[in-house]
Amino acid sequence: MKKKSVLPVLILAGIVIFFYLPLVVLVVNSFNASRVSSVWGGFSLKWYERLFSDQNLLRSVKNTVLVTGISVLCSTVLGSLAGISIARFKSRLQKVHSVFIALPLIMPDILIGISLLLFFISFRIRLSLLTIIIGHITFCVSYVASTVQARFQNFDFSLIEAAQDLGAGKGQILWKIYLPLLAPGILSGAMLAMTLSLDDFIISFFTAGPGASTLPIQIYSMIRHGSPPVINALSTLFIAFTFIVLLFYQRISRRLNNEN
Amino acid sequence: MKIRTCSFMAALILSVFLLGGCSKEESRKLYLYNWSDYIDEELVKTFTEETGIQVITDYFDSNESMYAKLRSGGDGYDIVFPTSYMVEIMNQSGMLQQIDHSRLSNLNNIDRKFTALSVDNDMEYSVPYMVSTTGIGYLASELGELDSLSWDIFGTSDYALKMTMLNDVRETIGAALKYLGYSYNSRSEAELAEARDLLIAWKKNLAKFENDQYKNGLVSSEFVISQGYSGDILQVQEEREDLQFIVPEEGTAISIDNMVILKGAKNTDEAYAFIDYMLQAEVAAANIEYVYYLAPNTEAYKLLSEDILNDPAVFITDEVLENSEILLDLGDDNELYSRIWDEIKSAR
Repeated sequence: MKKKSVLPVLILAGIVIFFYLPLVVLVVNSFNASRVSSVWGGFSLKWYERLFSDQNLLRSVKNTVLVTGISVLCSTVLGSLAGISIARFKSRLQKVHSVFIALPLIMPDILIGISLLLFFISFRIRLSLLTIIIGHITFCVSYVASTVQARFQNFDFSLIEAAQDLGAGKGQILWKIYLPLLAPGILSGAMLAMTLSLDDFIISFFTAGPGASTLPIQIYSMIRHGSPPVINALSTLFIAFTFIVLLFYQRISRRLNNEN
Repeated sequence: MKIRTCSFMAALILSVFLLGGCSKEESRKLYLYNWSDYIDEELVKTFTEETGIQVITDYFDSNESMYAKLRSGGDGYDIVFPTSYMVEIMNQSGMLQQIDHSRLSNLNNIDRKFTALSVDNDMEYSVPYMVSTTGIGYLASELGELDSLSWDIFGTSDYALKMTMLNDVRETIGAALKYLGYSYNSRSEAELAEARDLLIAWKKNLAKFENDQYKNGLVSSEFVISQGYSGDILQVQEEREDLQFIVPEEGTAISIDNMVILKGAKNTDEAYAFIDYMLQAEVAAANIEYVYYLAPNTEAYKLLSEDILNDPAVFITDEVLENSEILLDLGDDNELYSRIWDEIKSAR
């Protein structure tokens, strides 16, 4: 008989305590009538009321939806195309391209943020929501491209050749062969892009113009000089939203995998 | 499946344009850069109704991050709300417009006792917005209701390890300086050395130097006496009836947040209209009642409720004012303070 190790149990306990317990504390506190987290003042929805009556907060929710929506859409299209062309074709230039596309993965956010800011200023582009979106697309493309590339690990290129033999055009091949086969990779790339764009603070902070605060910027400024319970309420909704998206993602990706 | 994906994308694109469309109304606008929860939004709404000027606010969490953002090229804001020491830094970097007094009909409402404390005492480039004090929060259930308290309380061992002071170079060393009868902005090495020795003695009674959690510690009785900002104590006072705020008898540090117009402001007319609106007695009074900081506006004082006038955490009396100072930027002498602070922190 093999002796059971306690290590896995310890690790599990550690994960539960350090990762999930804070989330639970946060959710519970968002319903706490007292504004101090160490005291339970009874159940209350007042922080949610406060949240939904705060115009500036709602504006930053709108900004976040816009930024994340557009940058996920654009970076998914661009990143998928980049991933396909890097994995499909092999030439010296391809290597350069793949370095280019991988660079933002390892580059610190603060470098990307500052260099984007300097770039915008030197070209006299006024900072606005658009500049945040451009910034987000820049780093999201890399993540989508690398997850799409990963799908090529055991890709059967003979399918492409067969299609070409049967007279399929480039567009047809892209739409009918690449897309369905790569769909799980594209989807998880888009998911990754969404989470990264949703909670990016540093790049957004540098590239945000007036009136273009996103949620992370807003939350950060509220921590020091605002009411923490409202942040709790907001974060609870954030968590709920993330879980719903995750649920959908699992459903869709399971179906896609079954189809293949 | 394909059709569904397409229609989903189409819907997403459409919604993006619709949402984008909403924000493109052509109207007069004003961009503010403020601390969060530092203005009564109802007043802003009324301002928009009265003038048709749409107010868009972004928030910063510290003077430093605001300064970094503006210096690195973040333009487009009209009015910013920096603390007085940051006003000086911004003015020296040439970021501020001169304030044209003739365009502010309510400027006479400003309580000149406060501007007298500041470097810009003629309001050439800043108009004071809110003032607050540093003081001591204590539990009346332990100490009883106090009429006066000395900074020396940190030197008594009755509440040893149940007291905290701020983890802030200037505030903490300043409190010791003030107790010794010196200025918060002292530049004398001898005075600072004296303050250092005093603080090292006080430190034995302190649980810790603490900036953020002391208010929660007071509510949960972990601490009994804490040096803290009036705004922080007020935030948690509704949780504990016996939590009181008092300004030590030797005097304290007063902090002033100001309204300034940036040089690059595109909506100067709107900025003046807004500042003048905030200086109206009724508006300032309503703002005080909401934010619970004191707007230095003599006309507004007359409209305040008794509760506010008697609350030492909000209303600053002449007695307190007389002994108190604002923290000035010390330039090169800041280094002296950090050295002293290091010695205090590392002392055993």
